Amino acid sequence: MKTDSTLELKISFFLRAGVIFAGVLIALGWILKFRLHLNPFFNFQTYDPIPLQDLVSFHRQRGDYAALLSYAGLAALICLPLFRVLLTAFLFFRQREFALAAIASGVFLILLLAMGLGLEL
Amino acid sequence: MYGLLLIGISVVAGFLGSLLGLGGGIIVVPALTLLFNVDIRYAVAASLVSIIATSSGAAASFLRDHLTNLRVAVLLEVGTVAGAMTGFLIAARINSQMLFLLFGGFLFFSALMMLRKKQEQRALTDHPWSAALGLGSEFREETGELVAYKVAQVPLGLAAMFGAGVLSALLGIGSGIFKVLAMDTAMKLPLKVSSATSNFMIGVTATASAGAYFLRGDIRPEIAGPVALGIIVGSWVGARAMIHLPAQLIRKIFVVVLAVVSVQMILRGLAP
Repeated sequence: MKTDSTLELKISFFLRAGVIFAGVLIALGWILKFRLHLNPFFNFQTYDPIPLQDLVSFHRQRGDYAALLSYAGLAALICLPLFRVLLTAFLFFRQREFALAAIASGVFLILLLAMGLGLEL
Repeated sequence: MYGLLLIGISVVAGFLGSLLGLGGGIIVVPALTLLFNVDIRYAVAASLVSIIATSSGAAASFLRDHLTNLRVAVLLEVGTVAGAMTGFLIAARINSQMLFLLFGGFLFFSALMMLRKKQEQRALTDHPWSAALGLGSEFREETGELVAYKVAQVPLGLAAMFGAGVLSALLGIGSGIFKVLAMDTAMKLPLKVSSATSNFMIGVTATASAGAYFLRGDIRPEIAGPVALGIIVGSWVGARAMIHLPAQLIRKIFVVVLAVVSVQMILRGLAP
């Protein structure tokens, strides 16, 4: 039986810091845009596909930094598991546990490939 | 007001999700579509964010408490990700309606089996792969009792994860429920470890899909923002609560959720 206390604590710290960082950005964006009596979901009752690039350009032109903060927070949150897998591979490699390091690296590469191809897994 | 209500609902989803090793989509998607009339595509996109937030939010606590088995998670992630890729590639050729019926029935049967189970069945010996990779581990219960466990039937667990990945891609459902079942039943891990490890893993497959949805502009901060905030809070509370709750209670809650999901799946299978 092997225990990975140090390794687990490092990944735990990374995830906690990442979630707090992303959460603060999202919370700031949300609070700055918050209006008590408005229904923020009204515009989303029908699907209107607009690529992220266009949405970000639109908010930049309007100087809507609250929306940009929210997008940055969501991007950080979405990327967190990907970097967690990479960190796991690196930490196992440093522990000279090459089988687990190779497995984690393989998962990271598959995820990168899936993201690059835009696959919905 | 609407945003605050969504945060409140997401706190509950995050709490249950982290406790049971699921993503919270079973609460977030119906709430967004039925309560707030949000289009299903925006709701599904927000539910992917909820999976990542539950997974990352709760994992920090679970890892510190040694409830997540990192080695098992790393090994099984290969099965899940490979399964999800396979599912994506064969999706066009499969009749998903039949699968909904089949696996809805399977989940209902599993719920009944879990209900009958009075005590956790632990592995008495390590599978050779488990011994080679050092998969067995231990965690401390709130009572101070040190629970050491071994890992059985690793190839079967890996195959089940592959199946869970295929199903999640084919049916568009979160596969957390299948992961917990496989680890609990096939690999004979303690339920708390199964749940925490599933929680750790579900964020990985969700991140690839979420990336695609995000670039397409379907993840909107107006919806996904409050969902993420509520889920983060709920998952932290859920992760803290898990160590204090008896495994039998968690099993009972899991069985209820399992039954609800199975009925949802059967209904989708029967829909014209």
